Amino acid sequence: MELLGYLIDSLTPFNLLLALGGVILGTVVGALPGLSATMAVAVLVPFTFTMNPASALIALGAIYTGAIYGGAFAAILVNTPGTPSAIATTFDGYPMAKRGDGGLAISIATIASVAGGIVGALSLLLLAPPLAQVALKFGPPEYFWLAVFGLTLISVLSVGNTIKGLIGASIGLLMSMIGVAVVGGDVRYTLDTQILLGGIDITSGLIGLFCIPVIIDLVATRDPHLKVSDGDGGIRLGEAFRTTLREKFNLIRSSVIGTVIGILPGAGGSIAGLVAYTEARRSSKQSSEYGTGHPGGIIATESANNATVGGGFIPTLVLGIPGTPPDAIILGALLVQGIKIGPTLFNDQAGTVYTFIFGLLIATLLMLPVGLLIGRYAYRSIISIPKALLTPTIAFLVIIGSFAIHSDISDTYMMIVLGVIAWVLERFGFAASPIVLGLILGKIAEQGFVQSYLIGSASENVFGMFFGRPISIALIVAAALTLFYPLIADHIMPKKAMEIDLPRSAEEDARPVKPLKYRDYPGMTIAGLLIVIGVLAIMGTADMSPLGSVFPTTISAAMIAFCLVLIAVNLLRPAAPADGLPDDRPVASKPSTWRRVAVTLALAAWAVAIDQIGFIVASLVGFVVVTFISNHDRIGVLRWLAYLIVACGIVAGFYLLMSEVLLIRLPKDVLF
Amino acid sequence: MKTPTRAIATAIAFATLGVGSVLAADFPSKPIDYIIPFNAGGESDISARFQQSVWEKHAGKPVVIQYMAGAGGAQAWSKLNGMESDGHTIMGINLPHTVLQPMIKDVGYKTDDLTPVHYFHYTPNAIFVPKDSKFKTLKDLVEFAKANPGVVTFAGSGSNSANHLAAAQFNELAGVKTTYIPFSGTGPAITALVGSQTLAGFNYAPSGIKQGDAIRMLAVASEERMPAFPDVPTFKELGYDLVGGAYRGVSVPKGASDEIRKKVSDLVAAINADPEFREKMEAGGFVLTDVTYDKVGAFVEGKKAEYAKAAELLGLKKK
Repeated sequence: MELLGYLIDSLTPFNLLLALGGVILGTVVGALPGLSATMAVAVLVPFTFTMNPASALIALGAIYTGAIYGGAFAAILVNTPGTPSAIATTFDGYPMAKRGDGGLAISIATIASVAGGIVGALSLLLLAPPLAQVALKFGPPEYFWLAVFGLTLISVLSVGNTIKGLIGASIGLLMSMIGVAVVGGDVRYTLDTQILLGGIDITSGLIGLFCIPVIIDLVATRDPHLKVSDGDGGIRLGEAFRTTLREKFNLIRSSVIGTVIGILPGAGGSIAGLVAYTEARRSSKQSSEYGTGHPGGIIATESANNATVGGGFIPTLVLGIPGTPPDAIILGALLVQGIKIGPTLFNDQAGTVYTFIFGLLIATLLMLPVGLLIGRYAYRSIISIPKALLTPTIAFLVIIGSFAIHSDISDTYMMIVLGVIAWVLERFGFAASPIVLGLILGKIAEQGFVQSYLIGSASENVFGMFFGRPISIALIVAAALTLFYPLIADHIMPKKAMEIDLPRSAEEDARPVKPLKYRDYPGMTIAGLLIVIGVLAIMGTADMSPLGSVFPTTISAAMIAFCLVLIAVNLLRPAAPADGLPDDRPVASKPSTWRRVAVTLALAAWAVAIDQIGFIVASLVGFVVVTFISNHDRIGVLRWLAYLIVACGIVAGFYLLMSEVLLIRLPKDVLF
Repeated sequence: MKTPTRAIATAIAFATLGVGSVLAADFPSKPIDYIIPFNAGGESDISARFQQSVWEKHAGKPVVIQYMAGAGGAQAWSKLNGMESDGHTIMGINLPHTVLQPMIKDVGYKTDDLTPVHYFHYTPNAIFVPKDSKFKTLKDLVEFAKANPGVVTFAGSGSNSANHLAAAQFNELAGVKTTYIPFSGTGPAITALVGSQTLAGFNYAPSGIKQGDAIRMLAVASEERMPAFPDVPTFKELGYDLVGGAYRGVSVPKGASDEIRKKVSDLVAAINADPEFREKMEAGGFVLTDVTYDKVGAFVEGKKAEYAKAAELLGLKKK
């Protein structure tokens, strides 16, 4: 009954308005790669000083949950997670959009996000104090094994290409070690440059690795970015509901995973999404369709990442330990308001806490109409605007997004360099996602490992520290299952498939049993290059402390071993036939190399220009140049004029969003 | 073509200079960007948020808090002198970080490159144990550590940090051997401590407020007992000459004029004198200090000497 009273408190028009406004702002910020929930929440903190605490919390919570959800838009429509939480959404979301199901994918992501958000918020409402204990049970060894478990997703992501996946993960892990090490304090692999001292920022890495290849390929041909199914730009809501309902177990499981991982400080939405994705794929009957556009992948990721919002508030409010970076800012805001966070909060400040939780629930529900409206608009725009405007808009977004992370142009340079590397690697079968996985999980794995080792040594029980704790054992078993699952599945599945899918067998027979694989010379060259890098990396550990060198040495050695295996396997294969390889890639129109090179150079010049001559001028010129590069049609002066007006509008719009709404420091313009 | 461009550039430069001195007269003339070189939620952020809540009252213009985390703060500090120096861009600055970092490695700045104008508070180091720990007093912990060298583990924030230094100093003063476990910030260190992943923690006093009775504070490295913790003895009382923690201040780019430096310092001092601000800070476990611009040089020199000695204990020297 008491709870009902708080529900009514949360329903004031002011609170509803805050929840609505927060969700809208959050969704927009989340959809733009580089602009994060943390940023939006931080900007709004001062406004909440004068509100009552519950309303302030509702506003901040609504922005936060909206931003986590908004990340799905960019993931689905341009293959770039808008927030790190949406990484796994790209795996199936983008393929769906490519084949013409983008509207459906957005609707599914919306429904899943709302459902996940509700599970997280209800857990916060009903089970917060007991669940907070989960955060305390997770010590350094558990974080280490959680990261290892996350890494096993590679075996799932790169079926049929496992060696290249493992090499990619090693690259990512090595990249995560660049900079000043938290544990041990060593300065590693900075090549004595300032730009590498702070390490590779995960967000700028994500934008580069995922989005630059998209841009480079976008300009190369005249083909549309996404296929449109029968002129239908709709969001197919009914179909989305039916699909989600079919995946109800996936939805519930992923929401629970998201809530629990949200509770763990330092893990966060990206890991929740990845773990839920792994589990969904493993337990699905159509697991081989994951990664090619299966709605289950979106449902798993999006429900899990929105569940982390409610989950993250559990340790924040119960223990005073922020679950995620936005939680940390919200915690600070509450302290300034004079509210004592901690175990007594749920009794002393029951009014504030419960009113807030109901507000969060309402904000989550509001995501459904808001998300569907914004999603419909975003999808329509993406499929209807000409390529000559779409490409520069995306290019503009990645440049300002990577800049916005720290108001620092070095992140943009890093983003472009990583993106070009990713594009080259991808051409030769090294996908971006294992690299990203390594980059995200590397620090967690290393810190957990070294801390466990130190604590284990102090109590003279290193083995027990790593292998003797119940949660650790469970995580090890889960990791082993995921790792060896493809092998087991290969063993069992063919029989099953024959029993169930008899009609398809005729078709199967028509195909050759196993396509003959030829020697992959580019792959071997890259492996050779990485061996050299690995050796250099090991030599570079000479002047590090023992704590700081153990991880880079191990990872480099592993990378060298994987590369040697790759080369050996290829040497056993026949060399390519003299008459050349049959190209199995469907060619709609011939990709243009000059456009690819030009757009890469244009992006680099654009970044330098922002630093030198300022945001507005550089972006206007950059926008027009990229428009020119990506235009494949002969168009008249009027059309160019129209493009120019759109360019001005887009640049002005984002300038205002960044400098006036999000208050990001921008380089001074020479002309204004 | 070159001459006119140069002429224009010179004209602009003079115009800017003119504007600059006008600005100094009525500083601040627009919102101030206050850059925190760490992530949100730490003590640097929270103390800046406390300042922000009364800022406009004293400055007449609001303040915008931004985060520029990386390399333990070095990322931001190495960029400070390249920023605009009209006083509308200021940055948090910390000790011992800005002394220890350049002492150990090349981090892109030197201690003397930075221009702190006011150190306004510090958070004393303190030893904490989980609430159900068998250590009730510091004496219990020291006796156990003496009998079991290396077994006592201290969770703390990062390597070569204030916590790390204090742990090393404490080992020396008490004649014990303990193991320091570095975590990636106060938050993870405290989480590990509350969950009894380590036997004890060397953390900052404000954690004693935030975590309530989930952890117990055995001793605090302040000069006198803190108002927020009247029952917790200082190390000094217990016979260990350990005073210190993380000092936090405000700095400006090197190019800022003496007038601007003074004005920023005065503003921070005015906020420090605000009763509403004082009360919130003290209740939060922060100890206010009034190291104004005229005193800041001597203060930093003193700390440099102190940290140089302590760094020897950690075996730190430039590679």
